[in-house]
Amino acid sequence: MTNAVTWARRNLFRSPFDAVLTIVFGIVGLFIIHRSLNFIFVTGRWDVIRVNLRLLMIGRFPDTHVLRIAVTVVVLAGWAGLLAGLIRARQVRAGRVDVGATRLSWRRVSDVADRLWLPAFVVLLILMLTSTSGPWVMAIAAVVAAAIGRLIGPYVGRLPLIGLPGVLLMVALAVVPVILFFYVVSAVGFDEWGGFMLNLFLAVCSIVLCFPLGVALALGRRSTLPLVRVVCTLYIELVRGAPLFVLLLLANVALGFFIPSNLTPSTATRAIIVFTLFTAAYMAEIVRGGLQSVPRGQIEAAKALGLSPVRQMGLIVLPQALRNVIPAQIGQLISLFKDTSLAALAMGLFELLEVSTIITSQGDFRGQGLIGETIAFAALLFWTVSYTMSRESQRLERKLGVGTR
Amino acid sequence: MSEHTSDETASDAMGDTGSDATSGTVSEVFADATQMAGTGEVMIELEHVDKLFGDFKALSDINVRVGKQEVMVVIGPSGSGKSTMIRCINRLEEHDRGRIVVDGTELSNDLRNIQEIRRETGMVFQSFNLFPHLTVIDNVTLAPRNVRKLSKRDAIDMGMALLEHVRIPEQAKKYPGQLSGGQQQRVAIARALAMKPKVMLFDEPTSALDPEMINEVLDTMKDLARDGMTMIVVTHEMGFAREVADRVLFMAEGEIVEVGTPEHFFTDPREERTKQFLAQIL
Ligand SMILES: Nc1ncnc2c1ncn2[C@@H]1O[C@H](COP(=O)(O)OP(=O)(O)OP(=O)(O)O)[C@@H](O)[C@H]1O
Ligand SMILES: [Mg+2]
Repeated sequence: MTNAVTWARRNLFRSPFDAVLTIVFGIVGLFIIHRSLNFIFVTGRWDVIRVNLRLLMIGRFPDTHVLRIAVTVVVLAGWAGLLAGLIRARQVRAGRVDVGATRLSWRRVSDVADRLWLPAFVVLLILMLTSTSGPWVMAIAAVVAAAIGRLIGPYVGRLPLIGLPGVLLMVALAVVPVILFFYVVSAVGFDEWGGFMLNLFLAVCSIVLCFPLGVALALGRRSTLPLVRVVCTLYIELVRGAPLFVLLLLANVALGFFIPSNLTPSTATRAIIVFTLFTAAYMAEIVRGGLQSVPRGQIEAAKALGLSPVRQMGLIVLPQALRNVIPAQIGQLISLFKDTSLAALAMGLFELLEVSTIITSQGDFRGQGLIGETIAFAALLFWTVSYTMSRESQRLERKLGVGTR
Repeated sequence: MSEHTSDETASDAMGDTGSDATSGTVSEVFADATQMAGTGEVMIELEHVDKLFGDFKALSDINVRVGKQEVMVVIGPSGSGKSTMIRCINRLEEHDRGRIVVDGTELSNDLRNIQEIRRETGMVFQSFNLFPHLTVIDNVTLAPRNVRKLSKRDAIDMGMALLEHVRIPEQAKKYPGQLSGGQQQRVAIARALAMKPKVMLFDEPTSALDPEMINEVLDTMKDLARDGMTMIVVTHEMGFAREVADRVLFMAEGEIVEVGTPEHFFTDPREERTKQFLAQIL
């Protein structure tokens, strides 16, 4: 008790000014907490979420094909688990992780808990809001699949995997998500997708595509071939000079002028193209910064060893360059993810934010001012994913030892 | 390989080249830098080499020959063009005039030709330039696997043997950042040796090291010289020059001022500029 008093005196009430600050911020803070808790537990009318949960998560995806989404989620979970186990085993094999770290221990359990608690909590929250058992079955199946994948992964990873078998395995692993995509999209066209699923999908596709494009643009901007350099520079500067919203509108409207309507890609595809092209320009500048951060001596050493220009870049310069700019890259990708919420207003896609506003004016909920509840829910989902990405990027950074050398 | 002492090779060179240096005094043996030591066969040849940085002439009319198994130490004041000279040999710098021939291959602008010469030429830098994102063994095996196309297993076997040779096999799985400067430089030497080069170029390999680590690197270099490696070493370590060099070459302002045996250099230098320089550093 006396400890607490001395601590408070030292840290909160050291001078009259400190005391005033403490009291003012204390009151403001308490007020905010009070209002928030009040909103969440008392005044908030969360049945608007409960009733529209499915719309929020997957939009107007037809009933008959919802099973395909569930199958996809479960297979993806297994795939991710397998990949995690496999990578782990390869690292142990290469001596990058000591074997002791692979045994089950308190530290590992708490580490995993630390990584997963937030997404797990939000998923549980959503499951609690569901009125059917389907999502529960899917979630449990996904967890089981991930666990099985994680257990099998190391056995696969311990195989020698040199040459053709290794290549085949890589190809097989890379193809899984693509097959799953066609499995879903062959039943329900892209433009009928919606809700948070659409946001996630737009983001993942754009992230996967914008990364290589960004690296290529960065290399192009530093190319010794004048034409390549000029084209890349021009592209980067043009795209960075335009607001994303304008580009989305352009893709929606202007594309029709150039391409006959029966050939124009679906709206969602167009959104992916715009997100990719837009973020690639920013990625290119980030990567270029990374390339500049690699000391000249590294290239000289690579040259002196007789490495070809492609290998100098691929084995020595790029790996270091990309590592050095992980935080900036992930920041850009997080921003891309959040920007998928522009897709509704600009292109009329039925993504999460659109659903969140529409449901407040439908049926029983019309005119009751429930936008606070729905937007808060959307914000929670966006924040959870963004925050998890940010945490994982910090982990990756630590693991790759940036800043420790 | 113990027969490779500087005295013997010096006299070999006299006989083989059959030059006018027969009259005898040591100071005249290497009156010009194209008379080599070593086995008598030419390994590296620079003929009328000029190097310009803009208007600034970093090298002017450099003529040197280095024989197989010869160790040549290059000394000279800062900015005299020592680094530039050896960096021209593996095309880290492009020379503007003259010819550079390494083991019978003339350096041209053709990338294939440059690659070929770089494969035969190992280089060790003042600042190590190890690859920080790769473990020690990966640093050593990277080039053999990617350039010499060795299998992973063979490359690792060879890499470990080289790490034994430079006396740090136990560091194989560490990252460069976890090693001391002396250890890093020995890894850098092992990395260069892994390409089985015919020539090793050293650019002040001990200048960035704390005094207590200098000797471990110099000892490794002495081992190399004893094994018959052809070496060009830019260094300020006069003890090393005296003990290991077949010839010492003194440069100033982009020109070769004086060449000779270590004995000649440290007892009876001819040129005024050499005397001044040696007086400063000894
Ligand atoms: N890339 C460059 N651009 C312009 N000038 C250069 C460049 N590299 C070297 N020089 C100049 O060429 C001259 C020779 O440089 P070099 O590095 O070969 O000297 P050095 O004898 O190795 O000196 P040190 O003992 O300080 O390493 C110096 O005057 C230097 O300023
Ligand atoms: Mg130098």
